[in-house]
Amino acid sequence: MLELIEVHTYYGNIHALKGVSMTVAEGEIVTVIGSNGAGKSTMLRTIHGILRPKKGTILLEGEALEKLPSHKIVERGISQSPEGRMIFPRMTVQENLEMGAYTRKDKAGIAQDFEWVFKLFPRLKERINQKGGTLSGGEQQMLAIGRAMMAHPRIMLLDEPSMGLSPILVGQIFETIVELNKQGTTILLVEQNARMALSIAHRGYVLQTGEIILHDTSAKLKEDPMVQKSYLGAN
Amino acid sequence: MKAEIKLALTMGLLGGVVVFLFGGWSVTVLGILIGVFMGLSIGGRVNKKDGPRKLALQSLSTAGIAAVVFIAVSLFQNYVVAPAGGQFPSELYIVIPANLIGGLGMILFTALTAALHGLPDRQERLGKLILMVVLVIAFPFIDRITGLHWSGQIIFALIFVILGLGLNIVVGFAGLLDFGYAAFFAIGAYTTGILSSPQHHIFMNFWLVIWIALGMAALWGLILGTPTLRLRGDYLAIVTLGCGEMMPIIFRNLTNVTIKEPLTCWIIPGIMRLFNSSAATKCITIIDNLDLTAGEKGINPIGRPYLPFIGEFQSNNPIPWYFLIILLILLSVFLIRRLRDGRLGRAWMACREDQDAAVQMGIDPVHTKLTAFALGAAFSGFAGAFYAAYIRGIFPSVFEFSTSIIVLCIVVLGGMGNINGVILGGIIIMGADRLFLPALKDLLKGLMDHTILPALASNHTLQAVVAQNANPILYRYLLFGLTLVIMMALRPEGIIPSAQIRAELHADEETSAVEKAVKN
Ligand SMILES: Nc1ncnc2c1ncn2[C@@H]1O[C@H](COP(=O)(O)OP(=O)(O)OP(=O)(O)O)[C@@H](O)[C@H]1O
Ligand SMILES: [Mg+2]
Repeated sequence: MLELIEVHTYYGNIHALKGVSMTVAEGEIVTVIGSNGAGKSTMLRTIHGILRPKKGTILLEGEALEKLPSHKIVERGISQSPEGRMIFPRMTVQENLEMGAYTRKDKAGIAQDFEWVFKLFPRLKERINQKGGTLSGGEQQMLAIGRAMMAHPRIMLLDEPSMGLSPILVGQIFETIVELNKQGTTILLVEQNARMALSIAHRGYVLQTGEIILHDTSAKLKEDPMVQKSYLGAN
Repeated sequence: MKAEIKLALTMGLLGGVVVFLFGGWSVTVLGILIGVFMGLSIGGRVNKKDGPRKLALQSLSTAGIAAVVFIAVSLFQNYVVAPAGGQFPSELYIVIPANLIGGLGMILFTALTAALHGLPDRQERLGKLILMVVLVIAFPFIDRITGLHWSGQIIFALIFVILGLGLNIVVGFAGLLDFGYAAFFAIGAYTTGILSSPQHHIFMNFWLVIWIALGMAALWGLILGTPTLRLRGDYLAIVTLGCGEMMPIIFRNLTNVTIKEPLTCWIIPGIMRLFNSSAATKCITIIDNLDLTAGEKGINPIGRPYLPFIGEFQSNNPIPWYFLIILLILLSVFLIRRLRDGRLGRAWMACREDQDAAVQMGIDPVHTKLTAFALGAAFSGFAGAFYAAYIRGIFPSVFEFSTSIIVLCIVVLGGMGNINGVILGGIIIMGADRLFLPALKDLLKGLMDHTILPALASNHTLQAVVAQNANPILYRYLLFGLTLVIMMALRPEGIIPSAQIRAELHADEETSAVEKAVKN
């Protein structure tokens, strides 16, 4: 469904992605793990059209995305829950969610997706009129994911949804991701928390300083000695 | 109770100060206006369940105190200040009815407006609307009957209200700091001037020109916005500053415009010369030595609106002009509200809050900011066309940087993003500039000539210094600057802030309150 072919992305002359190739099939949860500064967020921003690759192609169902502006990419069915959540702090929960559906015009569908979000995150419904900036960290993460859901994407990009959350909340968020996936959303998940990510993903890629050094099914990756040593904290 | 007395004293004195300057019948007009204002302020704190009658009765004490203070100041003005300024006090046949109606009007309107708050929500809104409509319609007639002659200056204030509303889209809704807004005002005005002046032998109908001015201003908003809006924050502010500075200079110098058709004038002769041919071609000149803007002299006279029954609008009758500008304001407010509440409005707010997040949502930031810029500019086209026709002439100096700053001042005073606030801000700032300061100047001059300077006669240097500096108009910009500083320091959300902006500016307080609540 989504395919990256030899993607190179630069920040000025910092070479952040050095020929990344990967695929995500419809209905999958695919995770990308890697240490700080490996280029995970850069990869998601490149897919989302916020950064432009210097070389390489990104295909969504065969259509090239790398020349499209962000808002067109959102319309094609890709939405993102970005690193650092990027909630609109002075808009209410409701307004934040409405912004998520900005590119859509089908009123009925939007109303349905409100229900969908509130069913997965009842907490957001309780706080519907609270300002985004005053939510707790966990609630903000729920809002960021909910907002990405409001675009009713075919593929959702999740950038470190577990960041800064307590273990219980991390568990809840990951359960929600699985639930989302069961309901038909394809998921590309970027995580520091490799153990959790591999426990829910079908397949995984390991990104190191801008290059994919390994990819396999989650089960196999969990067994891999290098992965165990570097990312799962085994000794 | 204490708050009420404070309100009464402030309002009484505030009205008193204005009466202090104008004297005569101003006490009547001010009394009514302040009554309405006081009723509205009281309304903010009352218990709705008390019902209209009880609220009206409750407000009486406050209104009464205010009215006493107010009339005391008014009488003091008439019998102490006016004679000291070398004027005769008003005659009793004016003083008695003016003060009586003013004082009673204040009490009556306070009670009336306060009572409205006790009605069910829908009726309350309807009641306030009717009250406003009646006041707005009655104003020019009262103004004429009482011989105050404020309308002419109020019309200026209302032109600036439209400018404020337009700039509010750019600064308030989209969060783009624009220091060169007067440029679009100038474009609207010059479009009108050029299209309806004997100087160019074009006499287009005002009702058509005003739309062309609107379109031209919007077009130039797009043209100037396209290269600049990719910049963010400070950079944008500097670029708009530059554009604003350029505009009067351009209009000053468009006195000798020649446009030649490039193909026949340069390209073909150039090619001919390459072949050393001396065959002359005929150069097609489209416009030759046209004096488009007449430089510093400006364009004048300019055509005026015409309506059946009323005829051509005249300088000595402000009433048609007044209602025209009120209509333009209503139209602008209607359109701007629609825009704000629509999809575009939401995109503006999202970009203002966090542009990066807005992009993630699928908002095209350049397109969003460009529409804000162009639509903001469009409304100044309205203002420019009206201004040109009303003044009957336009001069480049009107559109200098200071005009941009005054409009910005209006938006800040009114509360960025708040439509009603901007309207009030425009009336206050321009009212101060056009009515208050000149009147203060006259008053001071009177006092100087008749009381203060004679008292200083022994010291000639001091006398000269005082005489030279006692002109408040000199301190105009000081006062505008002071307004900005004070507003930013004390009430950054403006006199009547929108709920959203208030939340933005006091976000820290709110967050810390929530933090506290979470800790406990
Ligand atoms: N705006 C930027 N300008 C310059 N360099 C950048 C920029 N953003 C990221 N980088 C660099 O690109 C590299 C990859 O960054 P990226 O944010 O993609 O890492 P990451 O894998 O998401 O790390 P983390 O797990 O810490 O979020 C880093 O070396 C980083 O310093
Ligand atoms: Mg990252």
